[in-house]
Amino acid sequence: MHMLEIQSLTKSFDKGKSFALKNVSFHLNEGDVCALVGESGSGKTTLVRLIAGLETPDEGVIKLNGEEVSSVRNFVSPEKRKVGLVFQEYALFPHMTLFKNVLYGISKQKNKKQRAQEVLDLVGLGEMKDRYPHQLSGGQQQRVALARALAPNPSLLILDEPFSNLDAMLRMQLRNEIFEIVKTTGVTAIFVTHDTQDALAVADEILILQGGELIQKDEAANLYTKPNSIYVASLFGNTIQLSQDLQSAFECPLNPACSHAIRNENFAINEECEHVTHARVIKRTFLGNDTQLLLKLDSGQQLAVLTKDRNVADRIKIGFNSKDVLEFNH
Amino acid sequence: MRKLLFAITLVVLSACKNEKNNDQAQENKEQVVNVYTHRHYASDQLLFKRFEEETGIKVNVINANADELIQKMNIEGAQSPADVLITVDAGRLTRAKDQDLLQAVESDILNNTIASHLKDPDNYWFGLTKRARVIVYAKDRVDSTALSTYEDLATENWKGKVLIRSSENIYNQSLLASLIVNNGEEGAREWSKNMVSNMARSPKGNDRDQVKAVVAGEGDLAIVNTYYIGNMLNSDSPEEVKAAKAVGLFFPNQEGRGAHINVSGAGVARYAPNKDNAVKFIEFLISEEAQEVLTNSNFEYPVNEAVEPSDLLKGWGDFKEDTLELSKLGEFNKKAVLIFDETGWK
Amino acid sequence: MKQAGSKNIFSYQYRLKRLRRDSNKWALLTLIILFLIALPVISIGVKLFSGPGETWGHIVDNLLFDYIGNSFFLIFACGAIVLLLGVSAAWLVARFEFPLREQMEWLLILPLAIPGYIVAYAYAGVFDYGGTFQLILESLGLEFIRIDIMNRWGLAFVLGISLFPYVYVSSRAFFLNQANSLMEASEMLGVGQLKTFFRLMLPMARPAIVAGLILVLMEVLNDYGAAKYYGVNTFTTGIFRSWFSLEEPETAVYLSALLIVIVFSLILLEKFQRRHVRFNSSRNNNDRIFRKKVSKRKQLVIFLIVLFPVLLGFLIPVAQLIYWATLTYGKVFDFSFLALSLQSFGIAFLTAFVTVIFALTLIFFSKWSRLSFVRNVSKLGVLGYAIPGAVIAIGIMIPTISIDKWLIGVIDYLFDFNVGLILTGTLVALIYAYVVRFLAVAYNPIESTALKVSNAIPDSSKMLGVGNLKTFFKVEFPLIRTGIASAFILVFIDVLKELPLTLILKPFHVSTLAVKAYEYASDEMVMEAAIPSLFIIITVMLPVIILNRQLIK
Repeated sequence: MHMLEIQSLTKSFDKGKSFALKNVSFHLNEGDVCALVGESGSGKTTLVRLIAGLETPDEGVIKLNGEEVSSVRNFVSPEKRKVGLVFQEYALFPHMTLFKNVLYGISKQKNKKQRAQEVLDLVGLGEMKDRYPHQLSGGQQQRVALARALAPNPSLLILDEPFSNLDAMLRMQLRNEIFEIVKTTGVTAIFVTHDTQDALAVADEILILQGGELIQKDEAANLYTKPNSIYVASLFGNTIQLSQDLQSAFECPLNPACSHAIRNENFAINEECEHVTHARVIKRTFLGNDTQLLLKLDSGQQLAVLTKDRNVADRIKIGFNSKDVLEFNH
Repeated sequence: MRKLLFAITLVVLSACKNEKNNDQAQENKEQVVNVYTHRHYASDQLLFKRFEEETGIKVNVINANADELIQKMNIEGAQSPADVLITVDAGRLTRAKDQDLLQAVESDILNNTIASHLKDPDNYWFGLTKRARVIVYAKDRVDSTALSTYEDLATENWKGKVLIRSSENIYNQSLLASLIVNNGEEGAREWSKNMVSNMARSPKGNDRDQVKAVVAGEGDLAIVNTYYIGNMLNSDSPEEVKAAKAVGLFFPNQEGRGAHINVSGAGVARYAPNKDNAVKFIEFLISEEAQEVLTNSNFEYPVNEAVEPSDLLKGWGDFKEDTLELSKLGEFNKKAVLIFDETGWK
Repeated sequence: MKQAGSKNIFSYQYRLKRLRRDSNKWALLTLIILFLIALPVISIGVKLFSGPGETWGHIVDNLLFDYIGNSFFLIFACGAIVLLLGVSAAWLVARFEFPLREQMEWLLILPLAIPGYIVAYAYAGVFDYGGTFQLILESLGLEFIRIDIMNRWGLAFVLGISLFPYVYVSSRAFFLNQANSLMEASEMLGVGQLKTFFRLMLPMARPAIVAGLILVLMEVLNDYGAAKYYGVNTFTTGIFRSWFSLEEPETAVYLSALLIVIVFSLILLEKFQRRHVRFNSSRNNNDRIFRKKVSKRKQLVIFLIVLFPVLLGFLIPVAQLIYWATLTYGKVFDFSFLALSLQSFGIAFLTAFVTVIFALTLIFFSKWSRLSFVRNVSKLGVLGYAIPGAVIAIGIMIPTISIDKWLIGVIDYLFDFNVGLILTGTLVALIYAYVVRFLAVAYNPIESTALKVSNAIPDSSKMLGVGNLKTFFKVEFPLIRTGIASAFILVFIDVLKELPLTLILKPFHVSTLAVKAYEYASDEMVMEAAIPSLFIIITVMLPVIILNRQLIK
């Protein structure tokens, strides 16, 4: 039995003119930590709200622990689903202390005070329990929100864009901390993010949403090496599509029924490769770590590549190996 | 389960019913009379208190506009707690009678004391006090010998000089109703039309405002109720007293049928729970004792001829009153309203 | 597979399935509340089918033209007055620094504390023969001048000066919130203040100004007391006349329906004029408002211009009332008057309480409903504010009488027991009518504070296993307390001032200060009306001053 099972979930906010979510199916097992990745408008927030019970689906089924919680016929209200949700803006109750905030969801439990203290300690804020939310920094509020969601021992924890309101330094630090906490508790968790770096850092498995459709679900390493579309490939690094023209320029004929791409970093300059051609540098743009070269191939096409070498000659040899070519079935 | 619920409801309701009956039984022990009245004068409060003291019957008063009281009695129907309805004009009482809200009363005291034109021919209601609708004129501009009748006010002589309030007002409606009876519908329409063209200004304000407008020179004369002149002469505002003193008072149609009068009157409600008390109450109101109070503190003419009008009223002199049956005023009230609208009397 | 999925899920059967799934008790309760609120209008609509009364033809021939003419005259004349007074005052206090400016800012709201009919009584006294105005003229040797105010021009003046604060408040909010950067930009380009005002600010502020204007016009059409006293025939006086004098409720219903048509046309007009405008409500609170400093003489001129409407709309009528009160307090002020005042406050208090509860239920039940159409139609509940009080009263009389008759019949048949009238002529019907009329007054402040609370807050409560009602009491209620408090106070004020609806529906053993003032005035004892009027004004003034800040936001 799966912890979370989703079958052909569909949601439209305008009676079918457009779809926020279209035919999404997947499942998670107990203890899985996955990341839901997509640009804004890809439907990830809708998916999360549907799982939480804050929206109703137009079609499809959501099962939690084997029980049907959302479908066309059934609907279990959010308060009965045992799903924990940490909102992007934290949504702490501003008129309650941290302790009261955490206590809120477990007021009927026996050892509620002990439990509240426990989760606050877990996120490292046990000392501050009598403060009010507005007295905390953004990162601290985020951790309280996590503690509050964890307190009732949810069977599924969802974190909606947990790091988006934080600056880069704090983000890295908090990402690791929260990942540790989630791992410690062993809860099944979904991180929602638009940032692939976040996803790679925290998740065992990553789901990619685009335009309301689930386009790939796989482990992080597989997504990188075997993306099933050029969109997925480009999410994890600069990618250049190998058009027919480029294929002939590099003398590398590929299966015309498929489309192909290659990562920018797999281009080799002035090295021996299986497929090479010569080019002239027509523009250099200094980007700090890398330098972007705008090349004009001898066959006439233009191509932009990145290199670490700042002192490349104007006339270069460029190439790649067959094993690095990504092949997509459409 | 349903049956059980129903049974419980039944028991509760019947319990309520018993309680209600007990209430009524208690009420019967304590004598009361429930009065719906349009009059809310200090003198009335005084009289109600005296009635309570003399008879031990408690007076419960509900005060409102006569139209609203009639609506209320209509809505309440047989459940109405009203015993007595008091209005400030005969027209409304007739309307109440026509809507089957009053009942006939046989009382020798009432029949013998009140002149026949001041009560309903079938004894459904009885006048309590009289007010005359008279002409007041600017003493400095109008020679009182030039004044004669209501009809005369509609002639060319008074073009642009007459002040009178709007047709919304019941006293004007009753005046026109009396003209319908006396001069026929066409005569009344003609009169209303000519009055409109004689008006010094478009009708507005109340009777007191008409008096003030005469004094201010907006017009030369006005048609008002005697009762208001009395009140103005005794007003708290020195300006009102001054205005009332500056005008002369003229009783019209003295050569003919007499000045138009109206009554404030009372009737016993159709479903009166305390009918006997209601009759006693009305009898009390026309007793000499009560009529003295009414004329002296409220400047109304008594219906009980054994009582002299107050000194102020006597100062205006005796006058001949139109003895038209006042029940006719109610009969022709609606017609009067329609004629007013048709002739453009605002 | 994908196509198959999207093809039929919006079919009729699928929608019906989802409708069944999404119908919860909250949706049902929302619809019930909406039905209760809409019942007066529905019953007027239904009653229209039974035909007009027999005098309808008479009214059409002789009076309807007058009603329409006067009502439109008032719309235009009052509109012009409130625009002139309201917009100019708002502009001056928002853009210029002058002595006593802060005091003037809230003094300009105070005319709202005096109901229009009371201003009408006061001005009738001011311009009366022997009135204050004439005494002043006499002392100047100008006794030949007499101003007659008891006509439709006077009525427009009186309603205009007592209602202009609606326009003042809405346009001042705009000038304060939006105008700063625009003004600066305009001044940088070297355009003068006046030119900026007419070319730039006035067109920009139009939606805000018109929103205030619409409120004024609704109040104008709602007025009964002032029009009746000044002898101007309007739709509202016509409704009273046909209901009570002609005793034809059917005719009153026809007039009411016509009046509803006029009111809703005004609302549509307002929506139409706003169709291209996106309200930008974002305001940077740190933005300091820079007011222009001008020469002493100009400051004095500005001060006088701003003082003028306060003088007309508040100081003069109150002074007149105080003068009358000194003449009559001995007669009017006694124990029973105090009892009446308490009764009036009690009714207003109870109504405010009930109305706030209705507003809360409408806002939150519809939110908890999972049906989007329920959420959309729930906003219709506020339209009662547009419907004149007299019309609502009639719309409520019709169903309550028939419900009562039915109840009496049923209970009499079943138990041989007479229950009497349960709704008609009782406090229940009166408060019901107040709720219908003033729901918007409570709804708007509560909704706007509720909107400031992020949805994520109640949502997180639900995710923590707490149900809707408990979430409301533990989380949302503490966060929207201020909105609820202003809603309560605003309804309290409006009930205290309300006249036409109260006149028709009040139970006979109860009365209010407003009714008492009206009764005195209509019994030719307008001086005696001063004490109850002043009681209303004082009671209303205190919260108006307190709420001043909220009103502006």
